[in-house]
Amino acid sequence: MLTLERCVTGMIVATLVLSGPASGQEQPDMPTTADRPSHQESAQQHEEGTAHPERVRPRLPEGATLDEVLDRAASPPPAHFPAPVPDDQLYVFTLFEQLEYRIAEDQAPDHLGWEAQGWVGGDFNRFWWKSEGEAIFDGPNDGETENDLLYSRLITPFWNVQTGVQYANEWTADEYDERWSWVLALQGLVPYEFELDNSLYVSEDADITFEIEAEYELWITQRLVLQPRVELGFAAQDISDRELQSGMTDADLDLRLRYGIKREFAPYVGIRYSMLAGDTRDAARAGGEDVEHLFFLAGVRFGF
Amino acid sequence: MAEQFRPRWVGAMTRRDFLTTTGSAALGSYLLLQRQAWAAAPDIPPAGRFGELDATAAGGIDLYLDRRDLLIGGKPGRAIAINGSIPGPVIRMTEGKEALIRVHNRLDEATSVHWHGILLPFTMDGVPGISFPGIAAGDIFTYRFPVEQNGTYWYHSHSGLQEQLGHYGQLILEPAELDPVEYDVEYTVVLSDWTFEDPHRVLWKLKTFEGYYNFQRPTLANLDDQMQATGMTLREVIAMRLQWARMRMDPTDIADITGATYTFLMNGQTAHENPTFIARPGQRVRLRIVNASTMTYYDIRIPGLPMTVVQADGQNIQPVETDELRIAVAETYDVVVTLPDEQAYTLFAETMDRSGYARGTLAPRAGMSAAIPAQRRRPMLTMADMGMMMKGGMGGMGGMGGNGHDGHEQMDQPMPQHAGTALPTENLVERISHGPDKHGPASITMAESAHRRLDNSGVGLGEDGWRVLTYGQLRALKRPHSRRAPTREFDLHLTGNMHKFIWGFDGKTWSESDMIRFEYGERLRINMINDTMMNHPIHLHGMWMDLYAGGNLDTNPRKHTVNVQPAELLTVDITADAPGQWAFHCHLLYHMEAGMFRTVAVVRTLDGGPIHADA
Repeated sequence: MLTLERCVTGMIVATLVLSGPASGQEQPDMPTTADRPSHQESAQQHEEGTAHPERVRPRLPEGATLDEVLDRAASPPPAHFPAPVPDDQLYVFTLFEQLEYRIAEDQAPDHLGWEAQGWVGGDFNRFWWKSEGEAIFDGPNDGETENDLLYSRLITPFWNVQTGVQYANEWTADEYDERWSWVLALQGLVPYEFELDNSLYVSEDADITFEIEAEYELWITQRLVLQPRVELGFAAQDISDRELQSGMTDADLDLRLRYGIKREFAPYVGIRYSMLAGDTRDAARAGGEDVEHLFFLAGVRFGF
Repeated sequence: MAEQFRPRWVGAMTRRDFLTTTGSAALGSYLLLQRQAWAAAPDIPPAGRFGELDATAAGGIDLYLDRRDLLIGGKPGRAIAINGSIPGPVIRMTEGKEALIRVHNRLDEATSVHWHGILLPFTMDGVPGISFPGIAAGDIFTYRFPVEQNGTYWYHSHSGLQEQLGHYGQLILEPAELDPVEYDVEYTVVLSDWTFEDPHRVLWKLKTFEGYYNFQRPTLANLDDQMQATGMTLREVIAMRLQWARMRMDPTDIADITGATYTFLMNGQTAHENPTFIARPGQRVRLRIVNASTMTYYDIRIPGLPMTVVQADGQNIQPVETDELRIAVAETYDVVVTLPDEQAYTLFAETMDRSGYARGTLAPRAGMSAAIPAQRRRPMLTMADMGMMMKGGMGGMGGMGGNGHDGHEQMDQPMPQHAGTALPTENLVERISHGPDKHGPASITMAESAHRRLDNSGVGLGEDGWRVLTYGQLRALKRPHSRRAPTREFDLHLTGNMHKFIWGFDGKTWSESDMIRFEYGERLRINMINDTMMNHPIHLHGMWMDLYAGGNLDTNPRKHTVNVQPAELLTVDITADAPGQWAFHCHLLYHMEAGMFRTVAVVRTLDGGPIHADA
């Protein structure tokens, strides 16, 4: 049984284990950076009278005295001065990791699917959005999307913690369901360079679900990349109206081979094995539903 | 050294000869190689046709900044030209006189000109936001300052990313007394990098797609190549790669921006255009080399000709003969070479990451050329660049280079020295172990320790069987004034998060930090500790940095820009003799723009609180 507590504990442990910068081991017999002064500390230790100006004629702006220049040096720059470097500017980024046509190997209808994310912000604090979904391309009007709107903060060199809301919807020709959830996510890079995105969702009905996405990039050439990807879903309790049973609920196993014509534009082909898992799978099978599908994928990964 | 003191221009060349030959060489290669380009774009002049101005002559000089099309390697590019060309004109000044330069900003944005390495009043230093507000579009700004030094320097924009578009040129400061360097002809060699992309787009790519321009990363396809290069077995290569992957680091991350977008230029011309430097056999040729690149380190050699390095960063040094030298971004080196015969020799400037090269020819006549050397294999970072004291095991890794100092670490040096007492100036500690990293998410510190790398010529160098210049070889020709033991020191960590393209000092960008304060008149020491896996050329404005190069107060060289290698501990001593506020930054333009920058305030006293850098 997966509980909220276990999910959160897992995420915290994951952060601690995986995210710390791999700083070196201290060697006891060597001076270490920890004992040495930064410039602020060094300034505080500074004794008066150690300076002895030698220059008879310091280089001064025309018409200015040394005192005036030293006063000016001790002040912040005048208000009309621009910043010397625009290091706090905001950037905008959008990446469609998947925009693809999913051809079912069996009689199931083909889908148009996407997974995209993007952000607006600086180095540490960003507004981050993620969207994924699929709709039947040629057939009944049937589809679903999940859209996360998050505040993201870089908390360690490799990890972002993110929180916000998710709007999810599902529709058929005669039914429309929607759901709001609170999201807590950890997104980052683990050793050996696997990208992870873990999200915990608490829906407005207090249903708790958990999603893990992991992907890896295997570079075959400088432009050809094989990307395995796993997405696992879990539920902390039975959620009857979403036909989920507690435990692991579903998995997508993807393999995509892309060719980067540019870094920001890469067509690909791939396969997806999609399955229900655990009690959810058993319940679906009992209800006469398909519990697994194989899709052939063709699409394009692009960013701007 | 005595016989070195001879009058200048003793050889066959006069200044006019120099100008004429430069002109005709330029014209020759222009006619030979631009024919195609002319056909395509008849109205666009090629880059590289720059003139010369004397800023200390009566009346001063005028610089006109324009946005205009120039042919870069035959292709039209939208450049920021100074007096119509990139690079801008060579500006001469004479020591002891006053320079007068009027800068006319004909761009549609603010600009600036910074005189790199020149000691002057801080209001003339040309850094918008620190020295002055900048030169608004349409305005004229007059720079006027006394010239108190001599040597080879350069100038460039300090506004945004303008330098990437050609806003730079060479400065030659003539000595008031006899030049200790004897030579017959001299040539300007301005190395730079050019992109046809919008530099802001380039920065955006660096911020959003990690490794955007790296097309030399480890792949399945180059496993075999790496095995051959290193002599390692497949198992060992894979084990090595997994070790890097475990650390979430890319050992091929040598340059953030590469030949994938860059065109590499020598005097504004590509290797194909072959800028030619004419000299007769027996003449001593002084090459004044400036690396005006935004991001590119060059490895310079002239196959078949030894080079005698006579100046570094405009400062005369005890001549060192070498076969190759690495010039970090913003450094200058003057070398003297002598043509032994009527042959042509290639001046080869290969980029540190081996993704391209600039090239020229040294020859007795125009139109000649020599073979272009094969490009070397791209280097990979080693565990030494991670500050790991690995012996044996990883030794087969390419570019391991000399860990010259590993043998004699001084583990028992008392730390830290207390302020007020004179610090030692010789035999400084060789290695410092990394304490717990306190620099937060902006810093990925992999190194176990930081160590001196003065005898290490750098990644990818030192294994070719010829001599390569190192910082440990630099010795000042004369003891500069105002040298004494420092009485205060602090550590400055060079930090970065390569994955997010965040760069700073001590884990902070400029806008997150306060000013670094120097007390006017004090002598202080900065120990730079490079926590990153990249080289960083660190530049201090307005004051010299006396580089601890293994010598002493008499012989250590002084520099305006010091390269700090990965995991290196590098020490500079500074006499804080320049009242005012100054820039202090990494001279990789995109690292600087990302925040690897500080304002230095030279103040009356260190009492009182920190000064906010951001108004």
